[in-house]
Amino acid sequence: MGMLSFLNNIILTGILTGGLYALMAMGLSLVFGVMNIPNFAYGEFYMIGAYLAFFGIEVFGWGPIPSILFAMAGGFIFGAVIEKSLFYPLRQRSKENWLMNTFLLTLGLSIILQNGMVILYGANYHGITYFWPGNIRLGPVNISYDRAVAFLIAIVAIVLFSLFLNKTRTGRAIRAVSQDETGAKLMGIDLNGIHMLTFALSSLLAALAGASLLSISAAYPTMGVTPLYTSWFVLILVGMGNVEASIWGGFIVGILETLSTFYLGSGWQSAVSLGIIILILLFKPAGIFAKKGVKTVWE
Amino acid sequence: MKTVLDSIKPYTNGLRKVGLPPIGILLVILLALAPLALQSELWTRLLVDALMSASLAMAFDFTAGYINITNFGYAAFWGLGAYTSTILVLRIGMTPWLGMLAGAIAAGILGFGVGILTLRLSGIFASCMTWFVALVMMGVCANWTSLTSGNSGLIAPYLLNTDSNLPYFYIILIFTLIIYLGLVLLTKSHVGMAFKAIGQDSQAAAASGINITYYKVLNMTISCAIAGLIGGFYAHFVGILTPDLMSTSHTVESIAISTIGGRGSIWGAFVTALILIPSLEFMNSLMELRMIIYGALLILVMLFYPTGLAGACGSVYGYVKHKLTTSQRPMAG
Repeated sequence: MGMLSFLNNIILTGILTGGLYALMAMGLSLVFGVMNIPNFAYGEFYMIGAYLAFFGIEVFGWGPIPSILFAMAGGFIFGAVIEKSLFYPLRQRSKENWLMNTFLLTLGLSIILQNGMVILYGANYHGITYFWPGNIRLGPVNISYDRAVAFLIAIVAIVLFSLFLNKTRTGRAIRAVSQDETGAKLMGIDLNGIHMLTFALSSLLAALAGASLLSISAAYPTMGVTPLYTSWFVLILVGMGNVEASIWGGFIVGILETLSTFYLGSGWQSAVSLGIIILILLFKPAGIFAKKGVKTVWE
Repeated sequence: MKTVLDSIKPYTNGLRKVGLPPIGILLVILLALAPLALQSELWTRLLVDALMSASLAMAFDFTAGYINITNFGYAAFWGLGAYTSTILVLRIGMTPWLGMLAGAIAAGILGFGVGILTLRLSGIFASCMTWFVALVMMGVCANWTSLTSGNSGLIAPYLLNTDSNLPYFYIILIFTLIIYLGLVLLTKSHVGMAFKAIGQDSQAAAASGINITYYKVLNMTISCAIAGLIGGFYAHFVGILTPDLMSTSHTVESIAISTIGGRGSIWGAFVTALILIPSLEFMNSLMELRMIIYGALLILVMLFYPTGLAGACGSVYGYVKHKLTTSQRPMAG
């Protein structure tokens, strides 16, 4: 009984973490699939979401829900601004070497955001003790309300977003652009608008993840590095550009990570991740959920 | 005057082939004399730092600017060289000179391995792979405390028994010059052409009979071995190592310098490092502001001037040459 509940605890933590990973991976996958931009500044949107939620609670004195909504809105606007000011001009200028150029661009952005935050608010941790105090009991396990709510938020966001992508006109337009940009343009889809919307939505998702986890992981300037790494891990695992699969990938990685951290300690856990990635890249390079039409890993 | 210039032309042409046009030779001489003229330990140390970064950036650009793979884990090879050299010197009493060589070999072997791992992967995935390798290296380094002292830091014996930075400067200057000449010779040869072909369109390159495997792995091995060598030097110059030598922020510095200098231009990376590192240090001591400037320059170059410093100089040179030759042409009739 003890062992079972223990394992339950780990699996449960893995699922809870996985939900947030799924949320983030979705955003990263979206931007890569639609705009072909490998966003290495993605972790910084997560960081911005956390800081915005912190400001909402501590500085403006709002409650948890308004603060999280504030973070979402902030992420969305910020993403739109970044897209318009950085990627739009690059698209106009030249599409040559797009992947490498945008990668370097996001790298520069990431440096500026991380170090800018240090200069603006210092490298200290800015955290809150809780959004909603207390725990709930699910059978033999205790989870804090915050973790449960964060998970719930992630699930709701994922479901709403999937519905958006599949059922609404704009969502279908986004999917069209990811499949065939020229074809989409011929169908009268406004590419610039879709690009801006896609990037803004992806930042919104990251900011939401960062904000929901504020009480669990305090805000600090380089907090985005690990989520970035994890999101890329999920993406490579399931195959790039496959937004639905990245959701499952997030859960898989969450459980995997929790299990390996428990058995190996957090230090060696990254070695496990890498080992898996190498195997995947060598044997199933398009990802374990590869489907036809997904951008392949090969040259 | 013209005949004098003509008579030394064969020599300058020859030197130009190894990337040392007359102005380059002049700059190298100035660089070599600089610490003697400045007589300041601080400046000498800055120049040593700049030269180390220049070597790293040049070797990085050797991969990124030619076979089009951004080795996002580059700092791990540098760190590996540093740790290998230090551990060998401490454990088996090797001299630091051989230690540096061992560092280069170790990093070269890892580079060989990573080259093979990233062989069939396209651009961004190859970069991700190198990134993950670096993250694991950093994790191993931090956790294998019995070997590396982990985060408490590892003390490395100094290369020379002197308090002055000057001898270190000349050593690294010689290293950097050799690296520069070597890389330029390689890139101007058929090897470099093969690299460029692979970088631009590897299927076409393969169809033209270029052995992709050989050249890609060769490139990675050389680039990483150089990083290892410089890492070894760094260890015995600075004297203390921590696992976060391998962190991505150091790689970012190499990326920034080589991109701002112009991708594919070896001398661009060299000169940019010599300009950026002292001037950033000179301007302000705030680390974060320095990184922001790197980031901003990276973005600006990407957006507005992708050919970087080398491209700008090339344009200016071409313009000036055009102006000079057209004005010298005598009028007809």
